[in-house]
Amino acid sequence: MDVKTLTKLTKWMETTDLEEITWRSGADKISLKINNTPEHNTTINSTMEPVLSNSIGIFRFARPGKTNHLKEGTLVKTGQELGVVEVGKDFKSVAAPSNGLLRIISIEEGKPVEYGQPLFFIEPR
Amino acid sequence: MFKKVLIANRGEIAVRVIRTLRELGVGSVAVYSEADRSSLHVRLADEAVCIGPAMAKDSYLSIPAIISAAKVTGADAIHPGYGFLSENADFSAACRDNGITFIGPSPKSIQQLGHKAEARKMAVKAGVPVTPGTKDCVSVKEAAAAAAKIGFPIMIKAAAGGGGKGIRIVREAAQLGKEMTMASSEAKAAFGNGEVYFEKYIELPRHIEVQFARDMHGNVIAFPERDCSIQRRHQKLVEETPSPAVDKKLRAKLEKAAVDLAEAAKYVGVGTVEFLLTQTGEFYFMEVNTRLQVEHPVTECVTGFDLVREQLLAASGEKLTYTGGHNVPLTGHSIEHRINAEDFSRNFAPSVGRIEEWLLPGGPGLRVDTHVYAGYNLPIYYDSMLAKLIVWAPTREMAVERSRRALAEFKVKGVKTTIPAHQLIVESADFKAGKTDTGFMERLLAPAEPVKAA
Repeated sequence: MDVKTLTKLTKWMETTDLEEITWRSGADKISLKINNTPEHNTTINSTMEPVLSNSIGIFRFARPGKTNHLKEGTLVKTGQELGVVEVGKDFKSVAAPSNGLLRIISIEEGKPVEYGQPLFFIEPR
Repeated sequence: MFKKVLIANRGEIAVRVIRTLRELGVGSVAVYSEADRSSLHVRLADEAVCIGPAMAKDSYLSIPAIISAAKVTGADAIHPGYGFLSENADFSAACRDNGITFIGPSPKSIQQLGHKAEARKMAVKAGVPVTPGTKDCVSVKEAAAAAAKIGFPIMIKAAAGGGGKGIRIVREAAQLGKEMTMASSEAKAAFGNGEVYFEKYIELPRHIEVQFARDMHGNVIAFPERDCSIQRRHQKLVEETPSPAVDKKLRAKLEKAAVDLAEAAKYVGVGTVEFLLTQTGEFYFMEVNTRLQVEHPVTECVTGFDLVREQLLAASGEKLTYTGGHNVPLTGHSIEHRINAEDFSRNFAPSVGRIEEWLLPGGPGLRVDTHVYAGYNLPIYYDSMLAKLIVWAPTREMAVERSRRALAEFKVKGVKTTIPAHQLIVESADFKAGKTDTGFMERLLAPAEPVKAA
């Protein structure tokens, strides 16, 4: 196997999720091993900040008797209440952690949520 | 029977409950804290929801979070396991108020039997022997007569005390006057109240307990006693059934006491009465545990019962499976070893880390209840129990041999465990001879304990 083929093969491997291949021809044997798995602790760079549920319960955009017209693409302020999680008779506030653009609403009215579940994504400004 | 049960617990007991639910065709919901995302109960349950952060008070002990989890998943009943909220009357009441069945006794029963003084009154009412003692506080004048009536040795306890504080042991009448004065002034200094009362002091007792179950139809059964005398700092290490110190006649008496108490309290569910058994064969009521106990598998091994199944039957208003009278017959002998993540060689210091190797023993007569697997990271927030190794054999002698064999097969790497402590126990001549009492571990470990500086 020449270097050119080897380079091609390596390049091709990088496009797959293969980690190791072995090529045999007569007495020749070539083993290729590449590191296709991402390094540990690699953080995916995102400019968006998730807003997590602070409790298990039912998500509401507003407290009873109130309305909240939250839309994707609007600006929110630090501490602004984006919704509440209903836990029994209690309502736990979900507030914006920073000033920014509300990019994604990943929850619907009246849906159950878990502790730590992402509810919104904000692009800080 | 229920359609879907939420298990308000973690670890091996959550796994244990899920197994029975699966056999009964009942859906299971696991709840977990952030620290338990990779725990086995989360993987085994039909559904799993995260209920809070690692600290138990915000997750496994949070009544609103657990009730809410049951509601969002549509569970019609909650099994509390042991520990956490299992003996919490408020939790039992919260379940009831939310239309969810609590798999355990009513709030009233938990209050009656979970409260020591109340439970003692109930025991007296049911004719169950309680530790002899003075009903009320004792004055210096009455002391000699009161002590003579109980019989030495006695304990002088502070009326306002608790947690083992302000207790003095008096072995003979000549010491009584002096000890009384000291106990009273100590109590006054510590609790602002110098009143004291007497209780019989039991020298090196055995810890014997009787499992019982009662359904809404009034069927009540008692199981053969468990001997839990092998304890270290009030933590049980080894439990066995039947007790080497209990014969048929005594067993019948113990079981009758448990049945009478369950009847008197109109208890629904499974529970355990704990007794102190003296060297001469008298037994005294100690307390009631209104939940499933850690050591329940030994009872299952010698009777063939599934106690979680009985709990589910009782809670759902059905009848218990056994209708052959109050006493459940037993076959053979069973021993349980609690394997904890503790360093035996360093005075049982907690050990944490990643379980690198986890090789379980196998073969005839063995059962291992665990939530641990190779690669599991032990969270630091909860108790240190890794597994319960339970052996069964036709005789006690064979069961001890089986324990010895199984403990040698059990290989754990990554954390230190109490397996060596259990090996020491099963090799000891006293344990082999069935000579155990609550002082057993202290005597066994005595030479190994570091000598205190003078």
